[in-house]
Amino acid sequence: MSTEATATGAIAASPGKKDWSKIFLFGGLIFLIISLIGVYMGFTNGKARPAYGLLIMFSFYLSIGLGMLLLTMIHHVFGSGWSTVIRRQLEHGIAIFPWLGLIFVPFLLISYLSGDPGFIWKWFDKTAVETDVLYQAKKWYLGQTRFLISYFMYFGGWIYLAHKLRTYSKAQDVDGDPKWTKKMVFHSAWGIIFTALTLTAASIDWIKAIEFHWFSTMYGVWFFAASMRGALAVVALICLYQIYKHGPLTGMFKRGHLYDLGCIMLAFTVFWAYISFSQYFLIYNANIPEETFWYNMREEGFWWWISMGLVFGHFLFTFIYLLYYRNKIRAIRMIFICCWIITFHMLDLYFNILPSKREVYDMYVPYPFAISVWDITAFLGIGGICAWSFIRSWNSSNIIPLKDPRIDESLRHHGR
Amino acid sequence: MVFSDQFPLDSKTPAPPEVMADVKPADLPRPKLVENDRSFGWITNKVCGIVEEKTPTWWWVAFACATSLASFTVIGLTYLVSTGVGVWGLANPINWGWAIVNFVFWIGIGHAGTLISAILCLLKQPWRTTINRAAEAMTIFAVACAGIFPVFHVGRVWFAWWLFPLPNANAIWPNFRSPLLWDVFAVSTYATVSVLFWYVGLIPDLASVRDRAKSKFRKIFYGIFAMGWRGSTRNWNNYEMAYLLLAGLSTPLVLSVHTIVSFDFAVSLIPGWHTTIFPPYFVAGAIFSGFGMVLTLMLPLRAIYGLHDLITQHHIDCMCKITLATGTIVGYAYTMEFFIAAYGANPFEIFAFINRAFGIYSWAYITMFTCNVVTPQLFWFKCIRERPHVVWVISIFVNVGMWFERFVITVTSLAREFLPSSWGYYSPTWVDVFTFFGTFGVFSTLFLLFVRFLPLIAVAEVKAVTPQADPHHYEEGEHH
Repeated sequence: MSTEATATGAIAASPGKKDWSKIFLFGGLIFLIISLIGVYMGFTNGKARPAYGLLIMFSFYLSIGLGMLLLTMIHHVFGSGWSTVIRRQLEHGIAIFPWLGLIFVPFLLISYLSGDPGFIWKWFDKTAVETDVLYQAKKWYLGQTRFLISYFMYFGGWIYLAHKLRTYSKAQDVDGDPKWTKKMVFHSAWGIIFTALTLTAASIDWIKAIEFHWFSTMYGVWFFAASMRGALAVVALICLYQIYKHGPLTGMFKRGHLYDLGCIMLAFTVFWAYISFSQYFLIYNANIPEETFWYNMREEGFWWWISMGLVFGHFLFTFIYLLYYRNKIRAIRMIFICCWIITFHMLDLYFNILPSKREVYDMYVPYPFAISVWDITAFLGIGGICAWSFIRSWNSSNIIPLKDPRIDESLRHHGR
Repeated sequence: MVFSDQFPLDSKTPAPPEVMADVKPADLPRPKLVENDRSFGWITNKVCGIVEEKTPTWWWVAFACATSLASFTVIGLTYLVSTGVGVWGLANPINWGWAIVNFVFWIGIGHAGTLISAILCLLKQPWRTTINRAAEAMTIFAVACAGIFPVFHVGRVWFAWWLFPLPNANAIWPNFRSPLLWDVFAVSTYATVSVLFWYVGLIPDLASVRDRAKSKFRKIFYGIFAMGWRGSTRNWNNYEMAYLLLAGLSTPLVLSVHTIVSFDFAVSLIPGWHTTIFPPYFVAGAIFSGFGMVLTLMLPLRAIYGLHDLITQHHIDCMCKITLATGTIVGYAYTMEFFIAAYGANPFEIFAFINRAFGIYSWAYITMFTCNVVTPQLFWFKCIRERPHVVWVISIFVNVGMWFERFVITVTSLAREFLPSSWGYYSPTWVDVFTFFGTFGVFSTLFLLFVRFLPLIAVAEVKAVTPQADPHHYEEGEHH
């Protein structure tokens, strides 16, 4: 099967233009190396903050990648027409999984091969948690071998799914055979179930289990909602960038598409709030100490303001803003709200990850909120590699799925 | 503004010709929503004909059976009111038995109608048009059945108005911190908006029946309810706006009702009830059971009235897939509850779930899991979805499974609560059985009356999704 999308002048790369992919790759690698140096220095000095910066930014890009993967699969199983011109951008986005899988390796090295295995996830240090009755009750799940197998299974599955969806989509660009659509629908159907389960398990393993004393059945659904919000905001920005100054998507990505993206962003804003509120409210109302401590820790110090920021900024402001029709059809207004959502999505991840690394372990004192220089290097480092991966995929395929059965519907889409 | 101009979003902005030259969509036509290129006239005749024809014999037989069955509820309730709530099987520690199980069961069924009408309307899913009317009717009747149980559970039903915060001589005021009170507001609001939504959608079709009526009585009867509809542009303009607003209003209501129903359980400390995933899990379960009931009702109607061109295989496919998806979400919730019970390491929680699956009520748990998670997986197969009788049987499994889900949640946790000395086993009495099974009669009676007197398919909406309603249809040369 040939998947070379060599057809025509529709190929995105234009000769004579600066190849940004290499700039992003080198920039990303430099920042990532700086970040890893920070993790190493922190590790030798017993300071976990640089490693947590890397974990937060890893979770940030992972959530966006998973959100894009789910959006691609949802597009296929719903037989969606309008979003076909956007789908190719999602397919570029989901090319990041192999690289994210590699970026996770330092965490594994610290947890499995270093002298301080509990540096990231406390429960890895068996001597430290030996007398912890909760660990003893949970060790059937919190096992090192199971954790490692799960890592390979999660990333293996996501890489496989992303590869299949991308390959079939490009293959259709060459021969225009509808069988590729059917194959993509098939892989999306089981892929959604697989991704839902692995996304849940990954959020428990990598985020929730930092504070392994705590538990909530809603957690996987929260990570799903957060991922979708992040991915929608990023894909809207990517599409808008590509029509900026008559860029390559001009005349294909139109107001109707932007409006519908805005509507889905509104829907997921409400869904995220619904999930987050339900989790908070049910724990608050039951008032059981083994659950409430997680929120109590997040009411201390500056975390209180982050909590309020999530309620009023990530939900209320965004909700009211996206209710207005005009805010969803004006490019500049959508750029603003997308950046806003991405910023608060990151804060949501800070909120979920950082306090769990307790400053005083036995006293349940949360790690204080701060944006460290290591967060910025990790953000730029992983971001640079993700951007490189995106542009590399973009350069090697057509700007839109030219022979998708629904491409005409999408090009004619007016919205409303 | 200058910066905004750098983003050409206008629909008239041309795409690069070198890209457009390569756009050659693969041939994969969308399924037709109305088969055999039926005309507007055919659709009107077919649907209005059901209301206008002589009452068929099967209808009389079904109506007689339904009303007879409904009388069971009347008998059960009469005995209850004249004797007291003690005639139900409720006994310490299981003070919530079939009453709340039946309430949640019927409320869940009442979700599909408004979901199809409101959420699928906002999602611009045109396939909803042939099933929305009957599903909305079903919603209202299911909510009516649901309301019976909490109202009679209060004991002295004539004091049910105390549920509302109305000043009274005894200075009795409802407890606003109880989700049961939130239910009162959520369900009554939902019922009101659902009725309004259903009625607004009916107006153009009632006018069609009025205009076709041959007898004066029918003309007056349908004329009153058609509210002077003339089909003018202004009429349609107002109608579309009202419909869209009601869809927007109904959407959060659909989600809120079952969320609050889930709060009835989840705000407590009872093991097996206090779990944070309950709100979305209950909503998914409600949609699942609602679609189960839509399939149960629509498939026989399709066969009896020969509606195959309107309720096509594509519609059945879509409903089966939603049932499969929501059934799988429910399965995810069951798994997550079990997993977190074990992971949470709370011994009471662990016991509650082991007891559910392997304890004295394991038969109920197995029934629930099989019907709700395993059976719908058959919908993965096209050959199953293409056999309406098999789909119908599976839809019955869904209905049964969802009743058992509520039974498992309610009864298993209470029967084995914190104090082993008060453990018990719940058994319904004949009054419980009469009241519950009678509600199927109430529901069927109301639905049969609907089928007989109102257009069971939204004629105007179906016409709007036919190819000939597309302004570009004739440009493409697809003349009839």
